[in-house]
Amino acid sequence: MEQFITSWLGSTPAFAIPLALASMGLVLCERAGVLNMGAEGYMALGAMTAAVLTLTLGNPAIGIIAAVIAGAALALIFGFAVVIMRCEQILAGLATMAVGLGVAGVVGRPYVHKSFEGLQPLDIPLLDQIPLLGRLLFNQDILVYLTVLIGFGLWFLLERTRAGLKIRAVGEDPASADVAGVQVQLQQLMAITASGALCGLAGAYLSVASSSVWVDNMIAGRGWIALALVVFARWDPLKALAGAFLFGAIEALLPRLQAIGVPAPIYLMNMLPYLFTIAVLLVAAWSGSKKGVEPAALGKPYVRQDRH
Amino acid sequence: MRNPITLSTLSLAVSLTASSVLMANVAQAKPFQLEGEPKIAFIYGATARDGGWNEAIDNARQIVADELGYPIAVAESIPEDASALKNAIDLYVQRGFNIIVGTTYGYSDGIAQAAEKYPNVAFVNASGTTNADNLESFYARTYEAWYLAGIAAGGVAEGDKLGMLAGFPVSVVNWDINSFARGAQVSNPDASVSVLYTNSWWDPVKEGQAAKSLLEQGADVIANNLSSAAPFTEAEKADKYSVGFQLDMSANAPKGHLTSVAFHWDKYLVPTIKAIAEGTWEPSEYGAFPGLAEGVVDITPLPDSVPEAVKQTIAEKRAAIIAGELTPFDGPVLAQDGTEKLPVGESLSDEQLWAMDYLVQGTVGGGQ
Repeated sequence: MEQFITSWLGSTPAFAIPLALASMGLVLCERAGVLNMGAEGYMALGAMTAAVLTLTLGNPAIGIIAAVIAGAALALIFGFAVVIMRCEQILAGLATMAVGLGVAGVVGRPYVHKSFEGLQPLDIPLLDQIPLLGRLLFNQDILVYLTVLIGFGLWFLLERTRAGLKIRAVGEDPASADVAGVQVQLQQLMAITASGALCGLAGAYLSVASSSVWVDNMIAGRGWIALALVVFARWDPLKALAGAFLFGAIEALLPRLQAIGVPAPIYLMNMLPYLFTIAVLLVAAWSGSKKGVEPAALGKPYVRQDRH
Repeated sequence: MRNPITLSTLSLAVSLTASSVLMANVAQAKPFQLEGEPKIAFIYGATARDGGWNEAIDNARQIVADELGYPIAVAESIPEDASALKNAIDLYVQRGFNIIVGTTYGYSDGIAQAAEKYPNVAFVNASGTTNADNLESFYARTYEAWYLAGIAAGGVAEGDKLGMLAGFPVSVVNWDINSFARGAQVSNPDASVSVLYTNSWWDPVKEGQAAKSLLEQGADVIANNLSSAAPFTEAEKADKYSVGFQLDMSANAPKGHLTSVAFHWDKYLVPTIKAIAEGTWEPSEYGAFPGLAEGVVDITPLPDSVPEAVKQTIAEKRAAIIAGELTPFDGPVLAQDGTEKLPVGESLSDEQLWAMDYLVQGTVGGGQ
């Protein structure tokens, strides 16, 4: 039993980290008032870029960095469309998603199903032998620790800094922010680019760390789960991080329950991650303060001339 | 959708029965006559280089091109909704293509409509459920080869525990699991197969974790009914054996790969397309269902890690299946909980195979 729990918790990041990174990126983007539906596409592009470069250069670090850049670049195109050209955000987001999925499929084609040596866990002696939590806390790759840092960093940025205040102001009331001297377009572009970078990193984690292989369509809807997580986390990066870990923990539990032969219907079991996450986050939302509700200007293109 | 098989066992079974009932009334008049020179189009539901299902068909396409020399056009990632497929077929027919090869279960209805609209065009569809005077669906008796793979797995495993991961609990998946388990029991009567459905056709993250979970529970062999490389990587890391499906997966596990249950669709497509071209093609009203005997599915060569005696057994059973003396589902067939599904002395009919919604004794888990 102890062994079971240790390895279950130790495998949780494989499922949780991609969701955590993507949903935190989307939190940032939505706090700046931009509804970004492209996550699935940035993640696909990131997963492919990281895998292809790791396969060709043999170095996951270069692949991961390139995936971040690729995600950011694709997001910048989306940003140009919605911030500069003021396109409808949902349509532009879906279009970017299609571009990401398509480019990933075409460019990655020769590299599909080729496994490689991916990102390895850090080797921390002794501590990783601690029962139950040892493998979760001390036998993970560097990106797991980085993700947690990003979560707290993002929370600090949004809640405790002037830069964060500007981002939130833009998401709540861009006209007032503009009057106060905040460069609305610049804030939104930066938030969009950062969200693309985080989604690219999330994709890279799936291919380079979680599975060490790239397959077309391997994001498998995780971008959409991340998008839903943003709402359930009430636009709070730390709640998004916690929600992703909860979801990941249950996803990691499912194959283990099946492997020991728990006689439960699998379709029912496969609902569990969704049910649990919704339940816990709903309770958190009800019991928490009224702070951190949906950004008022979310999804509305800001046109300076319309200011009133 | 990448894989031909969708979730609904029910609709598969129902449409199969329905089509057999409907088709029984259609008099098989005479062989299908093609107009003009053969021009072939392959329509894939996903990318042709998917490392699994579509790639196996695409490999066969290249053999068809080499052996028969007819022009072949290829369309990839044509969605399964009827309108997308209809457009693709309309365009090909307008350009004079008269043999259309579909590659997924999801095309079943769309291709049946097209076959009615273009009676002079020949259609075949992999893992489809619809048939007509100019349309034949085909799938392979994959369970025959999985039975042999099971014998190999049971023969090399140190303990009694084997693990198998699969997509969804549908009949075409269940019969692979069941025959693998029954094969394993041939070489080790105590063998048990832990069954794990990932609820997805292509998710390397889930597949890798599934394999890892099975290995943690002490499985000596990982049989992968899906096509990603991740389970093989996990098995290699744990120094355990693995069994692949659809293509030869040995490159993914150079040390532990036992065998792969591989498709050789050319063994069906070459003679079928030849028959169409020669005017002797008579599509089966139940669809084509070839197996080991036709060479459409088989195991890849066994490595030295398989003991000579086990190899001998496999060779004998393989010969017996090809000769029609043995099927992997000769009675008694007992379900996981011990209820009798088939008495001694009988073997499962095709209809019973397509309705297989249970796992057999010797499997663990896979609750449905």
